[in-house]
Amino acid sequence: MRRLLAYVGRDLTRWVRGRVALVSHLVMPAAWLIFVGLALPIRFTDHYLDFITPGILVLTVLSTSLQGGGLLMFDKVLGFLNKFLALPAPRESILFGKILFITLRGAIQATIVLVIAVLIGASLYSPAQYAFMYLILFLFGALFSAAATTVALYLDDHDSYAAFNTMISMPLFFTSSALMPYSAMPGWLRAIAAVNPLSIAIDGMRAVTAGGMPLAPVGILCILIAGVLAVCLHVFRHVTV
Amino acid sequence: MTAVETEALTRFYGDLCAVRDLSLSVDGEIFGLLGPNGSGKTTTVKILTTLLRPSSGSARICGLDVVRNGSAVRERISYVPQEMAVDVRLTGRENVLLFARLYGVPGPRDRTDEALSLMGLSDRADDRTATYSGGMRRRLELAQALVHEPEVLFLDEPTIGLDVAARMRIWEHITSLRHDGVTVFVTTHYMDEADRVCDRVAFLDRGSIVALGSPASLKASVPGETVAARITGDFTPREIPGVTFMGRRGDLLTFAAPPGREGLDLIQRELDRQGIPVHEIGRREPTLDDVFIRSVGSQDPAMPFDDHRFRLILRRRG
Repeated sequence: MRRLLAYVGRDLTRWVRGRVALVSHLVMPAAWLIFVGLALPIRFTDHYLDFITPGILVLTVLSTSLQGGGLLMFDKVLGFLNKFLALPAPRESILFGKILFITLRGAIQATIVLVIAVLIGASLYSPAQYAFMYLILFLFGALFSAAATTVALYLDDHDSYAAFNTMISMPLFFTSSALMPYSAMPGWLRAIAAVNPLSIAIDGMRAVTAGGMPLAPVGILCILIAGVLAVCLHVFRHVTV
Repeated sequence: MTAVETEALTRFYGDLCAVRDLSLSVDGEIFGLLGPNGSGKTTTVKILTTLLRPSSGSARICGLDVVRNGSAVRERISYVPQEMAVDVRLTGRENVLLFARLYGVPGPRDRTDEALSLMGLSDRADDRTATYSGGMRRRLELAQALVHEPEVLFLDEPTIGLDVAARMRIWEHITSLRHDGVTVFVTTHYMDEADRVCDRVAFLDRGSIVALGSPASLKASVPGETVAARITGDFTPREIPGVTFMGRRGDLLTFAAPPGREGLDLIQRELDRQGIPVHEIGRREPTLDDVFIRSVGSQDPAMPFDDHRFRLILRRRG
């Protein structure tokens, strides 16, 4: 565990000192909040900002997770991974450290987006509600950073990975329940949105803001994480030795 | 306990044999693995550092099998790959401290200070490594490798891409490590550097050892003295009494000749007869280059450049 945290510390320091990346991932979610959340003429709710905020938080975590998928591949390409693999520390701590870092980074960026949302008029909730929202965001972040890392390790080429990243991020977002309720969707979209993992997290967070305790989404996310981590570990072991 | 021991170590990439039947025993010395690019040096080091499994044969580090006791082997070694990977956004101290923590050494901060001062980096320790020169980055990697006091240190092309002064400094540090009892296993294709520093060297060609011994004994095995001639155009080896043609590398021909002026004159005459322009010709003591050329023959590959093979090697190394 100490070793795992050393890896996380390394990535955190590198991230905080790379000023451009620190800000660039916040621009898109903030733009969504301000230009869509505040400006879109919507009929199904009188407080669209509150409706869209969970979706934007999930989008924030999604984009940092997908971007983070490439980190382990870069460590591999640049020679860091071989140095780490020759250390006596359990090799899996390299992988889990990376996933933990990406998830933490997503949670930090989601916090900044949340602050912006509140500043422009989103409702405040109780600490317990925020804690539950963070739990969902954390699980969602772990799920997508593990999945993204797996794909990047498997593709083993950053151009292909960047293409994959662009290809899936926006379609995933638009086919989720982020922007409109199921009742406002056409039938075909409703079918896709219902099985989209983004919707699971978003619907869970909406249930929290409505005062509920959404244990089912949390359970589903946990099951998905277990499956993706197993695949991820397999691919990691395959590419390392 | 022997630091590094291999028995019939073999590694295939598909049907390409990168290392063939390698048997070595290395202990308490600076051991140099020499050979051209693609001869199997990096593959050998990767097997010994548990980054790659052998296809057959075995290797032991301090008596521990690299396949079965991987993590115990990694407790005893350090590995510096040739890529030169330091985190440029971290300071020198942070780079070393990271490794101290990853190794789990007691008193990581003190050990970091010691390793930095050993490598002469104390006064720049708190600067970002983005400002370090190539030689400093390499020394920083050595500090990272030494922070846990390994028994065996593996260095893959430690001086590649560095200027002359930086190279000399790296070798000085490596030599002083040997005096502290560390076994150093180093690959390089700089023969002159290996000649000066290594206690023993092995020449690798297409995965097999073609010569093994101390630089002095290997050079002594080259008969007589060496005559080198720099020419342009084709040269057809012909019988010259007492002279052996050893090989050609680029525009440089080497011959083994009996001591004295006579051999040189014979060679000069033969070259003149073939109408070959000679830019330079002279006698010199044999070098490791001569040993290598004698062991493997001409270094210009007879086979055309094999793109598939080249890519396979590059990809597997990544």
